[in-house]
Amino acid sequence: MSGAMQTVLAPPAGPARRAVRDPLVAGLVGLCLAVAVGLLVARPAPYLVNALGQLAAFAILAVSLDLVWGYLGILSLGHGLFFAIGGYVCAMHLLSHGVAVTGVLPDFVQFMGWKSLPAYWAGLDHPAYALVLALALAGLVAFLFGLASFRSRVNGVYFSIISQALVYVAMLLMYRNDTGLGGNNGMTGFPLLFGWPMGSPGVATGLAVAALVALAVVLAGTRLLVGSAVGRRMLACRDDETRLRTLGYSTTRLKLGIWCLSAMIAALAGILYVPQVGIINPRVLAPDLSIEIAVWVAIGGLGRLGGAVIGAVLVNGLKFWLSAAMPEAWPFILSGLVLVVVLVLPNGLLDLVALRPRPTWLRSSR
Amino acid sequence: MPVLRAVLVLVCLALVPAPAAAASLDRVGFVAGLCDDAAAQVRAAEGLIQSAGEVPADDLAFAAGLLGALAERRLACPADGALLLDRPGASEGRDALTGLARATPDARVPVLGLRQRAAVETARGVTALLTGPDPAARAAGLAAAERRIATVPAAVLDRARDAESDAGLKERITGLAQAAALSSPDPVRRRAAIAAVAAHPSGAAQARLAALKGDPAYAADHAFRAALDAGLATVSRAVAVGDGLAVVYNGLSFASILFMAAAGLAIIFGLMGVINLAQGEFIMLGAYATYGVQEAFRRLAPGLLDLYLVAAIPVAFCAVALVGIVVEALILRHLYRRPLMSLLATWAVSLFLVNLVRVTVGTQNLQFVMPAYVSGGVPLYADFVVTWNRLFAIGFAAATLVLTLLILRRTPLGLDIRAVTQNRDMAACLGLPTRRVDRLAFGLGSGIAGLAGVALCPIYSVNPGMGSGFIVDSFMVVVLGGVGSLLGTLVAALGIGGANVLIEPVSGAVAAKVIVLVGIILFLQRRPEGLFAVRRRR
Amino acid sequence: MTGLVIEALTVAFGRFTALDGVSLAVDPGEVRAVIGPNGAGKTTLLDVISGITKPVSGRVMLGDRIDLTTRSEAEIARAGVRRKFQKPSVFPALTVRENLEIGCGPAVPAGARAARIASVLGEIGLGPRADIMAGRLSHGEKQWLEIGMVLAAEPALLLLDEPVAGLSDAETAQTAALIRALRRPDRAILVIEHDMNFVEAVADRVTVLHEGRTLYEGSLRGARSDARVIEVFLGR
Repeated sequence: MSGAMQTVLAPPAGPARRAVRDPLVAGLVGLCLAVAVGLLVARPAPYLVNALGQLAAFAILAVSLDLVWGYLGILSLGHGLFFAIGGYVCAMHLLSHGVAVTGVLPDFVQFMGWKSLPAYWAGLDHPAYALVLALALAGLVAFLFGLASFRSRVNGVYFSIISQALVYVAMLLMYRNDTGLGGNNGMTGFPLLFGWPMGSPGVATGLAVAALVALAVVLAGTRLLVGSAVGRRMLACRDDETRLRTLGYSTTRLKLGIWCLSAMIAALAGILYVPQVGIINPRVLAPDLSIEIAVWVAIGGLGRLGGAVIGAVLVNGLKFWLSAAMPEAWPFILSGLVLVVVLVLPNGLLDLVALRPRPTWLRSSR
Repeated sequence: MPVLRAVLVLVCLALVPAPAAAASLDRVGFVAGLCDDAAAQVRAAEGLIQSAGEVPADDLAFAAGLLGALAERRLACPADGALLLDRPGASEGRDALTGLARATPDARVPVLGLRQRAAVETARGVTALLTGPDPAARAAGLAAAERRIATVPAAVLDRARDAESDAGLKERITGLAQAAALSSPDPVRRRAAIAAVAAHPSGAAQARLAALKGDPAYAADHAFRAALDAGLATVSRAVAVGDGLAVVYNGLSFASILFMAAAGLAIIFGLMGVINLAQGEFIMLGAYATYGVQEAFRRLAPGLLDLYLVAAIPVAFCAVALVGIVVEALILRHLYRRPLMSLLATWAVSLFLVNLVRVTVGTQNLQFVMPAYVSGGVPLYADFVVTWNRLFAIGFAAATLVLTLLILRRTPLGLDIRAVTQNRDMAACLGLPTRRVDRLAFGLGSGIAGLAGVALCPIYSVNPGMGSGFIVDSFMVVVLGGVGSLLGTLVAALGIGGANVLIEPVSGAVAAKVIVLVGIILFLQRRPEGLFAVRRRR
Repeated sequence: MTGLVIEALTVAFGRFTALDGVSLAVDPGEVRAVIGPNGAGKTTLLDVISGITKPVSGRVMLGDRIDLTTRSEAEIARAGVRRKFQKPSVFPALTVRENLEIGCGPAVPAGARAARIASVLGEIGLGPRADIMAGRLSHGEKQWLEIGMVLAAEPALLLLDEPVAGLSDAETAQTAALIRALRRPDRAILVIEHDMNFVEAVADRVTVLHEGRTLYEGSLRGARSDARVIEVFLGR
């Protein structure tokens, strides 16, 4: 059978062809690297360096969520858990390292009356081991949770609720003082990073640069992923999982793989974040914070990696600025921003740039 | 012969135990003893203590006055009798026996040595306990007597207990009497005391009996050991039952709150597929509305203040339902068929509400008046007390369940809600105003949450951030119970509430939550649609 | 030789019995139409075969060896079953070509994929639109794309759920021709449709379902003259 079909109705609006290149991501990668170089050369104020580094870490976290939400349709409201896993292991490394070099036990250990770090901290003064452990632990937790959920076809809002419950329970666990992880005060007072004192400008710059470079790498890597055959399968799974399954693909395996990858990227963000703020405590596991990550992604542009970065930088930048200037107003501004975006710009702020909303069939969100 | 008979009668009379009249205090002898040497003073005091169980009240008062004077150095001892001075060193006083005034030119004022002081204090305590004018005085007397309780005979404590009107003090006296009886040298009395303790089981009784196991008589006396073991077994069983009842009761009340928090969520989710993250804040608004009603009553009708809780029921329902309807009309209406975006929108609403309340009312816990019908409780069995505040919550939840079922099953709105829940498109084709049903149902669900807020005012602390404590549990109830099913919500609430309360004393609150969550995830493996969801086609 | 044998299939949703002991056999090389009024259980039948719904009892044998009721959707698909859904289910965020590439799946080795896609594009007539996003296609084009997707892996059992719903008469005729051309000795085709002209054009035999049970099985002409079928479904 050949010959064209006669279309009676006009085709729906929207881009006709799929973009092969993503200029936004390319631009952001370039920007990250440029800023990193700028930090090394120009030596701006420590406050600014630190802020940039934190923003970069949050951007990585947002990208990790966009990967599973925008491209797989899985809204996780518990990504703070993986962020926290990375952060806590990093903190353990920094404190172990400090003990190994200075011989002084951290405050919370002395507070509990223990004579040394708990047994399971062993080996964490080696940075390579700590890095591997952080990523592996995040991946493992994600694997177990994902396996249980995806196999029983827990999807949509059910999954979101259960991920909230997961991070809530983790928060309760971390508030206990007998875990050997600092309890409700968390861990702070990190003395050294790879042998150098934490507060020094060189270390702060180095951390910020590392975060920016990591962001660039993560952006480039995820862009390559979503542009590949796997990425196409992700989109297919997002839009019609049953269709994909009935074509012979194991969607559970696909979802699980990307889910674990996303968890590890989130843990990486945590690893980069904690040395820059100098503290970790159970408040990072607050359910509200995990929802905020989704807010960053939604505001910036769901389903577009560059949008996630923009959303994270914008919202957290605003928060940094306003928390100092008008702290009372920030929650109202945030809730207003979310409502505006959700109602008026369903695909985030990037819709403003495109000057027209994305068509329904191309929307990543439900 | 008549002389012999008289002597016989006299001897018989002497041998016959004296009737009650002989139990009255020998006042002259008492006075003489107090004015005598140290040994005599102690004897007089001890003698009084021993006989205090039978001695008439006026004798006790007499003795109390003398002992008090002696302790405060207001007792003067002339050659004969004794004088009560108004203050130490006064030149004249009143005769102790007659009450007439007398001068004290050469009267010696006895000073209490350490040895006598203890006996006298105990005697004073005993008399105060028996004759004190108010519970405070009697309690002070009890405290004094308690320090040397071994010297106080059971009869004294029994008399004090029988005569005591203040419930708290009576209980203390009873406890003391029990303890004394349990340590009594008379084994029969001890066993009787054990049985008496076992007859009123409680945690305290259990501890008291268990302490006796270290007593030497336990190893030596078979009868004692048998009695103690039997008594302990009875009490332990009763305490376990009482504790079990308490657990069930607490679980029921927690489940009631959970049910009310989740019922609205279940209706909304079943109908619109929207998870309302602001549900916790709706509960909070209900609690704040209750506070508002309380303050209104306080200002406008202070006499009816106790009724604020009842009056708050319709107020909270309507107020929060109105808020819900506004939220639906302004925001959710535009997010039709976009559940994940609706979720974020409701989160924004919850953030807004929490901070609105925080900024306008403040972050402190609200103070609620506890009306009589939600204060206290009635002890039912062993240590289990049926507290009224929890019963209020349970009753409230039951009423809410019945009312919601009636609305859903018997009213046109309920029918519309059920129809749209089951097949929205078909219902729309049949002409049902689905958007209006959404709005009203959202209002209903929010209103129920407001009712939950009323119910938990007597139990939990109320502050702007209180909603977050319920939201995760409510979610779990909805997910477990099955979408849109009220019965499922009820069963899941009972299950989760019960599980939490059962596990908590064993492993702690956190472990309970973890176990319950893991349990739910595992359960969903088998039945992803929940307990009672209707199985339907894709 | 494959073919499909359904034995005493019973499916229930709560208290509602969708299929009640249905038995059916489709020979390899045959095109079978399943027809019946709405609610008769036709789509449920396809749901069970493709593994979306699990039955209460009964078996669905693909060929002689594979019981589909014990397999997952992906396993069933890998065994060679392809289904075209009632509502056109294509992947709107991907281009036509990419949709077909996914349709090929692991069954088609990488080297042969380009050729297969090109041939399928020719069959369904979407060659010129190959790089257009599927979400931009018209309804008819989407139906055809989905047919292309399910054909790409050369299925042994093809399930078509109302393939001409929403198509014009001309498109319907073209679809009928396409399906006739899909006939292969090792392929069984099961079609659900309401359009009797279409059924007449494609089907070798028809099975009439009513309220979860088989009412009639045989030729369309026979169905048209069967009294029960007329009463229940076809009308006078």
